[in-house]
Amino acid sequence: MSGYRLPAGGRINRAAPLDFTFDGRAHRGFAGDSLASALVASGQMLFGRSFKYHRPRGILGMGTEEPNALVTVDRGETGPGWGRATPNLRAPSVALYQGLDAQSQNRFPSLKFDLGAVNDRLGALFPAGFYNKTFMWPRSAWEKLYEPAIRRMAGLGASPATRDPDHYDATYAHCEVLVVGGGLAGIDAALAAAQGGSRVILIDEQEELGGGALSDQALWGEVADKAMALRRLDNVTVLTRTTAFGYYHQNFVGAVEQLTDHLAPGEAKGARERLWRIRAGEVVLAQGAIERPLVFDGNDVPGVMLSSAGRTLAVRYGVAVGRAVAVMAVHDSGWRDALALKAAGVNVVALIDLRAQVAADLVSAVRAAGIAVHLGHAVTGVSGRHGVSGITFAADGTGHSQQLAVDALLMAGGWTPTVHLWSHAKGSLRWDAGWGAYLPDVPQENCRAVGAGAGAWDLGSGLALGTLPGPKPIWQTKAFVDFQNDVKARDIDLAVREGMRSIEHIKRYTTNGMATDQGKTSNLNGLQIASGSLGRAVTDIGLTTFRPPYTPQTFGALMGHHKDALFQPIRKTVIDGWADARGAVFENVAQWRRARYFPQGGEDMHAAVARECLAVRQNVGMFDASTLGKIEVVGPDAAEFLNRMYTNPWKALAPGRCRYGLLLREDGFITDDGVSARLAPDRFHLTTTTGGAARVLAMMEDYLQTEWSDLDVWLTSTTEQWAVIAVQGPLAREVIAPLVEGIDLSREAFPHMAIREGRICGVPTRLFRVSFTGELGYEVNVPAEHGRMVWEAIHAAGQAHGITPYGTETMHVLRAEKGYVIVGQDTDGTLTPDDAGMAWAVGAKKPDFVGKRSLARPDMTAPGRKQLVGLLTEDPNEVLEEGAQIVADPAQPVPMTMLGHVTSSYHSATLGRSIAMAVIADGRARDGQVIHVPMPGRTIRARVTASTVFYDAQGSRLDV
Amino acid sequence: MLLIRCPYCEEDRPEVEFVYGGEAHIARPLDPAALSDQDWEHYLYIRRNPRGRHHERWRHTHGCGRFFNAVRDTVSDRFEQTYKAGEARR
Amino acid sequence: MSDAIAIPPLAVAGTDLALESNAVLPGGVTLTLEPPASRWSLRARTAEALGAVIGRAVPTRIGETLDGIACLGPDEWLADPPAGTVVPDGAGQPVSVVDVSARGVVIRVEGASAARVLCSGCPLDLERFAVGRATRTVFETVEVIVWREQADMFRVFVWRSFAPWLWHALKAVQLG
Repeated sequence: MSGYRLPAGGRINRAAPLDFTFDGRAHRGFAGDSLASALVASGQMLFGRSFKYHRPRGILGMGTEEPNALVTVDRGETGPGWGRATPNLRAPSVALYQGLDAQSQNRFPSLKFDLGAVNDRLGALFPAGFYNKTFMWPRSAWEKLYEPAIRRMAGLGASPATRDPDHYDATYAHCEVLVVGGGLAGIDAALAAAQGGSRVILIDEQEELGGGALSDQALWGEVADKAMALRRLDNVTVLTRTTAFGYYHQNFVGAVEQLTDHLAPGEAKGARERLWRIRAGEVVLAQGAIERPLVFDGNDVPGVMLSSAGRTLAVRYGVAVGRAVAVMAVHDSGWRDALALKAAGVNVVALIDLRAQVAADLVSAVRAAGIAVHLGHAVTGVSGRHGVSGITFAADGTGHSQQLAVDALLMAGGWTPTVHLWSHAKGSLRWDAGWGAYLPDVPQENCRAVGAGAGAWDLGSGLALGTLPGPKPIWQTKAFVDFQNDVKARDIDLAVREGMRSIEHIKRYTTNGMATDQGKTSNLNGLQIASGSLGRAVTDIGLTTFRPPYTPQTFGALMGHHKDALFQPIRKTVIDGWADARGAVFENVAQWRRARYFPQGGEDMHAAVARECLAVRQNVGMFDASTLGKIEVVGPDAAEFLNRMYTNPWKALAPGRCRYGLLLREDGFITDDGVSARLAPDRFHLTTTTGGAARVLAMMEDYLQTEWSDLDVWLTSTTEQWAVIAVQGPLAREVIAPLVEGIDLSREAFPHMAIREGRICGVPTRLFRVSFTGELGYEVNVPAEHGRMVWEAIHAAGQAHGITPYGTETMHVLRAEKGYVIVGQDTDGTLTPDDAGMAWAVGAKKPDFVGKRSLARPDMTAPGRKQLVGLLTEDPNEVLEEGAQIVADPAQPVPMTMLGHVTSSYHSATLGRSIAMAVIADGRARDGQVIHVPMPGRTIRARVTASTVFYDAQGSRLDV
Repeated sequence: MLLIRCPYCEEDRPEVEFVYGGEAHIARPLDPAALSDQDWEHYLYIRRNPRGRHHERWRHTHGCGRFFNAVRDTVSDRFEQTYKAGEARR
Repeated sequence: MSDAIAIPPLAVAGTDLALESNAVLPGGVTLTLEPPASRWSLRARTAEALGAVIGRAVPTRIGETLDGIACLGPDEWLADPPAGTVVPDGAGQPVSVVDVSARGVVIRVEGASAARVLCSGCPLDLERFAVGRATRTVFETVEVIVWREQADMFRVFVWRSFAPWLWHALKAVQLG
């Protein structure tokens, strides 16, 4: 036991005790405590085990820089709710609440006794780069042995295993000035910016405004007054518990606000976190500075921490870090901290400073406070494993040594301005010898840095060191640089000796700065050590790049509303509800959900589809085709435009007639198709595939706007204007006839591939006589708001004819029986019209259309191209798997020569056997040949048919 | 997220309203049939991919719907200027 | 900031989201589904050419609105005129008049915090979006047209199949 609660002081509310548990053990803290301060107050100095060596670790810092004290907080309301457990939270940043349940990480079976700590004894086996060196041979052992073992040992915390039940909010926000950092510098900047009436947003990650000033009692009054002034201004938005995690182009800043994690789970209402996407006119960065640890043998023993952490514990939380505390300083701030601790009632027994000379006023003040001063000395060792029991220090680190019994040691290694966000936004940095750190130099955005983060804060002077001098050579020390990734000074030295020169290489070889803390406490020390080992100036070694996020954020916050029911829009047609009520099974097609089949009385898909197919072939079926993309093409040059876009001729198409259009990309490959109708000389109703609607419209707009802007024609998406009901089958005419007004449905007056406008069920319709089934068929287009009514009316009228609703699966089978392709299923972006067996759709006499020139390229006409053909398995009951590969010689050793693959495959109830389509090299020339489809454990034989049409090749059923 | 000035709307609008459209000022040949295979290949596939100043097409898809041209620095991601489709290269 | 706000869990699946006729958000903002109305997408090279064909003046600058017609692009207008208005189809003229009455729905977002509700998913600075302006934009991944009719009332035009998602995304907004 070393830490304890001071009898008075701090910003905690001693009248509001809070009970919480750590590793199942009960503790008590106060409102205003963080988890870290409350635990230290109850004597807990051991917080976790390190990543690689499983060394016992306590807290290092009391802010976001904390690398060691990572905990999992479980916010399940009743019993363990692992979906509400969050790993890797930094204990100093976890606000205490009643009932908080925190667990340490990376230990087994317990924090105090951890089996993984054997790694520490075997430390010599795990030097820098050990992953790369040790686990190379034998290669086969990597997957089965090394990787699983490493994965079990490594890692921080454990991911929640069940779904996250929480909700997350998200918003955009705009302001003239965004201030990041709510210390006094940030508060002053926000107040100044608000004077002119500008919209100001002030973001701070802590529970309350004040930043470092909260650890200086003399500034509390100023903080309170100014915070109050800010909150009185209507044009200022103050966001506490909010972390700006990334600074992107043109002053776009991402931030996450914690809304409920500081509350007991029972009191938490609403969203857990809110993602702020902020666009600011000017960004003011007031992120402050982070204290640097000192690097010496034993600097990671629990109880050794940053001087600023000891001060924050004492002043802000009323907690003493130990009964006898020593300070090891190379910077003036350690002296001030010693005085602040003493004033708060902490027993500071010694102040050791490597410098021989320190400002006289500091020395006399510290001596006057009763603290022994040892100038020109350095700590060289720490005794104790789970907590500090004493220190050794020596003159200049190598001379006469002394021992001192203390239970806490504070390190004052100087300060590193926080330039993370500045660097995200590509602002340049300059080395400042006085700070021993990089400072913001030239911004790339409308941005400025203020306060300590800008180097514009007087924290005193000090040394910038790599390591403290000591009696042992570097390779005999356990002097940690990156505490979270267990990188020691000797690892960096080794990396340099093994040839690493750039800090970027050293970082990746040693993993220095690569942990979740992003090197907040390790980057500069690592740089100084590398500088010493390389014998080159720090500025010649470079600085690793800072990238978002500044601190780890939850996936939930980044997803915002896009979760559960709102994950993404699921588009439904106006007829979807009817299908749903009748038990349809659905599938997703692009963003749409479509009825796939309508099972009856326990039918499986096979039975339902067989029944639906036969109904269409023998009587009549109805199908919701509303998802088809639709584009209205209007203007005097409409026909000219379509003539240039599609492969076939359009100018001579008479009003009232339809035409199948095949659309290529400029590279000659099929990209879409659809039947389109000419309504008037200057008006066409185009259809596209369901998934291609937006892409085709964008492609056509591209040509129209940028290549042929002289054409007087305009495109309007009407996909959602029209509900489309396909009525297909020999009895289709009989079904719709009683419902249609103003259209002569006779074969002569309304032939196949024609369109008529009139009314159906009393509402306007564009009635297409088209077929994707090979049967007599109509596609009834009505304004979407009437779609459900017309669907139900057709269904009712069709009862006398045995009308059968069918879904997309039946539609697929029916069209495959007819050999109609589905673009995107039978084609894959590498098929020309000829490859797809659709050379007939290319207007040979047209001088140009999109993609025409590419069709004449040598590769497009070369032999060996894959062609779409039919496949009939020798066993008629064998249904091939779509996507299955096709070979000529099943005996060929692996890797076999692939001829192509199956694109469509179904059982056809109409034909009483299976049918398939496939793309096969030189497929049409293989007519009648047997090919082989290797499957696990067997090979399927099938015969190629050059034609993909399996049913009614003459098309006699269409023209009735 | 970038802000992009739409030369038609004459204001800076958020990047999510736009779609990138590849390199600018590559006109479709008026008579593709007259091009050699090599010239056609060049038109179809060969792009400059410069480091630095790049002329590119964008479309204000979820805004005014117009394609326009932009000069953007591929190193800094910064837009230098935008101008309407059909205007001369800048 | 959020203590008094409770969001009911979205227990339904995405496929079960359905439009409602109205809703009141926790911050007092109301959502109302407007009844169907006649609307047209109008296209022409110039406002003058279009005006001559349809017999009405149309706004000339992108974002402006005039008597129920919004200019969305240099050659594009949305007509949402008073009930009973008939827009001629411009047959044979160098214009495009397309009936889009059934293509989408209009959600009215009304209340002192209406702009902030829309800002949750719309990246435009809607606080500074002038009354009487209209523009096409996005709400998260969904394309919408936002038309500010009054300081505290926006009309949001959205295609029919995206409307249930948008409606419930708006309902899920939590004002800080």
